[in-house]
Amino acid sequence: MKFVFSEVAQGFRRNLSMVVSVVLVTFISLTFVGTASLLQMQIGQMKNYWYDRAQVAVYMCSDVSATDVCPQGEASEDLKAAVKAKLESQTLSQYIDKYYFENHDQAYATFQEQFKGNAVAKYVTAKQLNETYWVKLKDSTKSQIITESFSGVAGVEEVRDQRSYLDQIFSILNAASLAAIGIATLMLFSAALLISTTIRLSAFSRRRELGIMRLVGASNFYIQLPFILEGVVAATIGSILAGGAVLAIVQFFVQGYLAERLPFTSFVGLTDGLLVVPVLIAAGIVLAALASGLAIRRYLRI
Amino acid sequence: MISISNVSKQYRGSARPALNNVSLEVAKGDFVFLVGASGSGKSSLMRLMLREDVPSKGSVHVLGENLVGIPSRRVPFFRRRLGVVFQDFRLLPNKTVAQNVAFSLEVIGKSQGFIQEAVPEVLRLVGLEGKADRLPSELSGGEQQRVALARAIVNKPALLLADEPTGNLDPATSQDIMALIERINLAGTTVIMATHDRGIVDRLKKRVVELKDGEIIRDQVGGSY
Repeated sequence: MKFVFSEVAQGFRRNLSMVVSVVLVTFISLTFVGTASLLQMQIGQMKNYWYDRAQVAVYMCSDVSATDVCPQGEASEDLKAAVKAKLESQTLSQYIDKYYFENHDQAYATFQEQFKGNAVAKYVTAKQLNETYWVKLKDSTKSQIITESFSGVAGVEEVRDQRSYLDQIFSILNAASLAAIGIATLMLFSAALLISTTIRLSAFSRRRELGIMRLVGASNFYIQLPFILEGVVAATIGSILAGGAVLAIVQFFVQGYLAERLPFTSFVGLTDGLLVVPVLIAAGIVLAALASGLAIRRYLRI
Repeated sequence: MISISNVSKQYRGSARPALNNVSLEVAKGDFVFLVGASGSGKSSLMRLMLREDVPSKGSVHVLGENLVGIPSRRVPFFRRRLGVVFQDFRLLPNKTVAQNVAFSLEVIGKSQGFIQEAVPEVLRLVGLEGKADRLPSELSGGEQQRVALARAIVNKPALLLADEPTGNLDPATSQDIMALIERINLAGTTVIMATHDRGIVDRLKKRVVELKDGEIIRDQVGGSY
C-alpha cells in the first residue's frame, strides 16, 4: 500500500498541470450541478409557498378604466353587489375558500406599502387603483372557474389569476437551471476526457516501470490502482471544492444577500446545501473512477 | 516443466507464420539453448512461454499452467514463478541497484522485512555486494546484467527465461554472466536461453534447439551451435 501511495504522489508531481486542470474542471462543473439542483429545490419551495397564497383578483371598473370594457365608468354599488352575490351563490361558493373586498383606500394603502420609496407611489391616487374582490380558492388550480364566471360581466374590468405571474417567474428560473445543467453536463464530459488523457500521459511516462511490473508479475490491480487513484483523488479534490462553493453560495449569496433583500420569500438554506454536497462528491468520485477505468482498459492492457 | 505441442503462431499482416507446428518438451533442471538466425522464431517462442502472446494453434504448458486457457487475471501470478532477463537489461535508471531489485518484490506485495533480507543476499549471490547504492548508469554492462539476473532470481523461480542475455556484452563479460547462469541452473532452476553466441553454446555443451523459419530443425543434447 505504501508503494501505491508513493506512485500516486509521483504521478501527481509528474502531471501537475493535468491534475490541476482535472481538479478545476470537476470543481466548476460540479458547482454548476450543485447550483442547478439548489435552484430546482428553490423553485419547488417557492411553488409550494406562493401557489398556496395565490389568489384570483376580480378587478372592478374604476374611473380610469378603458371605456370599451367599462362603458359605465366607476362600478356602481349595484354592480359590486351583483358580483358579491355571484361569489356567494351555491355554484361558486363550493370552490371558494374565502374572499374579501378591497376598496380604493385599502388598495392605496397596500400600494403605498409595496412601492415604498418608489417614485410612482407619489403620483398614484386612490381613485386610480381598482377596487378588487380577492378570491382564495380551495384548489388554486381551478382559477378557470372564476375567470369564466366574471369575464365580461358588467362592472368587472379584468379577472386575473396571480398564478399566471408566478408561472412566468418559475419558467424563467426553470430555464436557468436547465441551462446550468446543460453546461454542467458538457463540462463533466470534458472532465471525463481530461481524466482519461491524464491517465494516458501518466501511463506513457511510466511505461518502463509498467513493463517491468508486468514482467515480474505485479497484479493488474496493483498496476492499475495508482492510475485510478490519481484520477479519483484529483476529482475528489475538485468535488470537495465544488461542495464548499455551493455551501458558500447558499450562506453568503442566498442567505446573506437575497434573503435580506426579499424578506417575504423563503430561500434554500444550509440544510438543503448539505444535502447536495455528498451527492456532488459521490458524483465526482464515480465519474473519475469510470473515466479512469475506461482509460486504463484502453491504454494499460496487461 | 515446459510442454509445447504443435504450436503455430501467425501474426496479423504477415504471410508466413512466425512459428509452424513447433513441439518442445523441457524437463525440470534442464539447460536449453534456443539458437537460430534473426526471425527464426526464437523470440516468438519466448513470448509464448512468458504468456506475452498466445499461439494461433497448439498448446503451451509452463510450470503446470495451461497458458492458452489461463484467465488474464492469473497471468501475473504465473509470471511471479519465473525469472526473465533480456539483452537490454530493462533496469529503472532512476533507482539504485538495491531499489531495482526491491521494486520487483514491492510490486508483488512482499513485506519490507522480506525485502530487506532477500535483496542483499541475492546481490551477494550475483557478486554485486558493495554496489547496492549505485545507479545503473554508473555500472558496466556486465554489472547491469547481474542486477537484472538478481532481480530475476530473487524470488527463487523454478524457470529462468533469458533472451540473448549476453547480446550487449563483450566476450569476457559474457563468460562471467554465463558462469552465473550456470550456477543458477545447478541450484535447480530450469534455464531456457535464446542466443546468437556461438562460443558460449559450443563451450557449455548443453541441449541445443535450433529454429529456422519458425520450425525446429534440430534438438540435440550436448550439441553445439
